Amino acid sequence: MRLGLVRGHVTLNQSIPAFRGKTLVVLEPVTMENLRAGNRLGGGKSLVAIDALGAAIGQLVAFTEGREAANPFWPEPVPVDAYCSLIVDAIDIHP
Amino acid sequence: MFLARIGGTVVAATKHPTLSGCRFLLAERLEADGSTSAEPIVVIDWFGAASGATVLVSTDGDIARTKFGNTTPARMVVAGIVDSVTTAKPKSGGKA
Repeated sequence: MRLGLVRGHVTLNQSIPAFRGKTLVVLEPVTMENLRAGNRLGGGKSLVAIDALGAAIGQLVAFTEGREAANPFWPEPVPVDAYCSLIVDAIDIHP
Repeated sequence: MFLARIGGTVVAATKHPTLSGCRFLLAERLEADGSTSAEPIVVIDWFGAASGATVLVSTDGDIARTKFGNTTPARMVVAGIVDSVTTAKPKSGGKA
């Protein structure tokens, strides 16, 4: 999983049936430099992920990428490649 | 699979139900020259890897699925704690 800051939500007008009723969030991946600085900045290339946890804008989440991102919808075949798995409360960085 | 260095711990109260009780660690992926990648990763650990330890991370969710069920989004897990890594120095200017 990578870490990402929730920057917004995506609403679809028309979508494939598998995406109906699912929440999409815009994530900005966080670099180690920004995480260490604690500046609430991301630095990575933005992506869209499915969120079932109710993450709010500004919150830090850990997201799964790849085939495993579709596992929560098993056995339904959904074309999901990013999924918010955790809402991060705290990170203790050891020097 | 790749090598990573444990850099800290991650606390998350809200998570996918299959991940409750998991230990999440912050890790930095290691390159062959010892440098680390720009973006850190969160890995699941059940070996009890210490901070600063080098671990082998598997990005295949099969290990997690057998443990947490088919619906788990878990993917990156610590597959082992590394004792030592031996790398040969790349040859420079040598004849092929």
